[in-house]
Amino acid sequence: MSSLNDIEDLEDLYEHSPCGYLSVSLDGRIVKTNKTFLSWAKLDREALTGTRLHDWLHIASRIYFETHLLPLLRMQGYVNEVAVDFLFAPDNRLTTLVNFIERRDEQGNVRIIRMTVFNASDRRRYEKELLAARESAQRAGAEVQKLNDALQARIVEADANHLRTEELLRQAQKMEAVGQLTGGIAHDFNNLLAGITGSLELLDRRLEQGRIEDLSKYVSAARGATKRAAALTHRLLAFSRQQDLAPQPTDINRVVSDLQEMVRRSLGANTSLEMIGAAGLWTTVVDRNQLENALLNLCINARDAMPAGGRIVIETSNKWLDQRAAAERDLPQGQYACLCVTDTGTGMSPEVLARAFDPFFTTKPSGVGTGLGLSMVHAFARQAGGQVRIYTEIGQGTTICLYLPRHRGPPEDIDALAATTGTWHSVRAETILIVDDEATVRMTVSDALTEAGYHIVEAADSVTALKLLETAAQFDLLITDFGLPGGMTGRQLAETAQTMREELKVLFITGYPENAVFENNLLAHGSSVLSKPFAIDALIEAVSSLLPGVDNRV
Amino acid sequence: MSARERNYVQISGQGAQTLMFAHGFGCDQTMWRLVTPAFKDSHRIVLFDHVGAGRSDLAAFNPTKYSSLQGYADDVIEVIRESKLKNVVFVGHSVSAMIGALAAINAPELFEGLVMVGPSARYINDGDYTGGFTAAQIQELLEFLDSNHLGWSAAMAPTIMGNADRPELGQELTNSFCRTDPEIAKHFARTVFTSDNRADLAQVSVRTLILQCAEDVIAPTAVGEYVHKHIPGSQFVQLQATGHCPNLSAPHETAAAIRAFL
Repeated sequence: MSSLNDIEDLEDLYEHSPCGYLSVSLDGRIVKTNKTFLSWAKLDREALTGTRLHDWLHIASRIYFETHLLPLLRMQGYVNEVAVDFLFAPDNRLTTLVNFIERRDEQGNVRIIRMTVFNASDRRRYEKELLAARESAQRAGAEVQKLNDALQARIVEADANHLRTEELLRQAQKMEAVGQLTGGIAHDFNNLLAGITGSLELLDRRLEQGRIEDLSKYVSAARGATKRAAALTHRLLAFSRQQDLAPQPTDINRVVSDLQEMVRRSLGANTSLEMIGAAGLWTTVVDRNQLENALLNLCINARDAMPAGGRIVIETSNKWLDQRAAAERDLPQGQYACLCVTDTGTGMSPEVLARAFDPFFTTKPSGVGTGLGLSMVHAFARQAGGQVRIYTEIGQGTTICLYLPRHRGPPEDIDALAATTGTWHSVRAETILIVDDEATVRMTVSDALTEAGYHIVEAADSVTALKLLETAAQFDLLITDFGLPGGMTGRQLAETAQTMREELKVLFITGYPENAVFENNLLAHGSSVLSKPFAIDALIEAVSSLLPGVDNRV
Repeated sequence: MSARERNYVQISGQGAQTLMFAHGFGCDQTMWRLVTPAFKDSHRIVLFDHVGAGRSDLAAFNPTKYSSLQGYADDVIEVIRESKLKNVVFVGHSVSAMIGALAAINAPELFEGLVMVGPSARYINDGDYTGGFTAAQIQELLEFLDSNHLGWSAAMAPTIMGNADRPELGQELTNSFCRTDPEIAKHFARTVFTSDNRADLAQVSVRTLILQCAEDVIAPTAVGEYVHKHIPGSQFVQLQATGHCPNLSAPHETAAAIRAFL
């Protein structure tokens, strides 16, 4: 009884196992199948028995079975877990994993091939999903790689462009600074031209009169003005020229002193410039051109921080930075030549300060600054092995200091630029107060009018002029430039003077012709405007028309 | 790299004549392991793997070169020339029958004879020509290879992991023969099953023997007869063996037929 049950159990196990079982003869015909396989095939046992196995295989599996699986089976007696697709009907494809094993008789001949078939439909679906996921991951990876490659190429290209651009930028920055100077420079040139033409005319006049004594002063005044004009153009051209970086031992004081004239010209008349150069200032190795550029940028920033005018101080000093001080400034401990530019301007907020060195960051109106000035200054200082520090307070002003490492050795000599000063001169007559910061202008005007018989008093700035006007001295005419040092414009000076002395006449002389036109329309009675450069005759005519009462002319 | 390394060429045996055995699509030179012992005392025996199969150098695989059977034929000629093989009778199974034919057409002086085991000049039916497969079936095969390569490689991967030179691992190994790189096998399948060498047959000038099995689904009898008819002076022997691999299923019969030809 029990053995019968055992056989039934075994049969049940065979027929209803979760695997399909197939027995295949050596010539490839199906001998036996279990019910599980028949249920997958949806075929009767009779329909399968005696048929060739490969007739039920999907074409790809059939080829694979013949070319790969059977040879393997012949060689090793078994094949494990290979993917095989059956095709029982056009709409009944069965995806499986199959194991084959040869069963041999006692003589060792192959009796039968046993196949175990696992239904792998779910697994294959899962595999396909994995495959699709892997493919899309690979696509994404390839996409990222492509982007990376493109980015890499652009970085290489950008690097190449970077050097070119940096060079262009340095030059552009310089030209921007030059542009910002131009207004002041034009004014300055007119002043110098006025000095030259004035001297020449006075010479002419003296020669006509046969008064040839003491003529050399006019010649030297004209020569001086010419030299200064030449020096100015020389400096401008030298500054504008595209030059290769050539760091060399440099005396900062010398650079400042050479540049201060140009800086002064670029400042409004209501901004004063003071220079405090340390004696025995240490030499430093920098590119002179870049140092000039940096200094100009700092001065232009200082000027622009003081729209209502103020004071700029350029100061140099030697600094010993001990370990702590050096660490604070992110510098190695040691000796530094220090160049500071201080203004009495608006100062910077902490937010502005934080971004001050960022390229293209600017607080100036659009079109006024590139936002590159301070970042270039910073780059220059770091390149030179130094540092830039900003000390600022809202409403109080800003000090920006360049720390440049000391170089032990003398500076390389550079051409000194000749500078001359005009001479003072006056003769007794009706009294005219001449106020102009340009000594040559004062001299030529003064000489011409002295010639014409007027008594001349000169002042270089508004403060001096006001002090003179406050005295009891007689003044009939005030001749003043519109732009003046000392905190007051020529116009403000004239207004103040005329409230102090109602009868005082005023003649404005200006290097800005457009100002002349504008100001002429607004002139108070008893005032007129003369544009520099002017002929001596025009000057005398203008003066005599304002002082018609007495003709003291020689 | 030498052709010998590239194709994992193995030379053994002694004899005036050289038998060069080539495996077909599927498996590698181990396909011949039951046949070669019959010749080891009378012949020089040369075995090799096509690039992509067995222990060939996978790095030498070049999809362009091997997109036609000519690429494989060129390798055969290189192996013969490099190893200075003389009096070569080339025994090609399955697609290698045509590879041998192409090599013999290009360099007839290198060959003394050709033995074609289960050859096919074209697998796809074409008008009156019966290749055994419809164009749609081969298309299905190629799509299956492309779309289902995880299933394909699941079957192939163990063959790569196999380790034929460590037989002591025995039963623990899965599919220790027929090592094939799945990706190259796919490419090879495309090259093989889309090939058409019917026009080449007439140019074969060396002695040729065709061995045809019964019930060969890859190369049916009609195909073998076609090859016989179109190679001038060729001999045709119908084997008792069934299937596509008589070198495994009937090695003695196969060896006897070859010996009779030699």
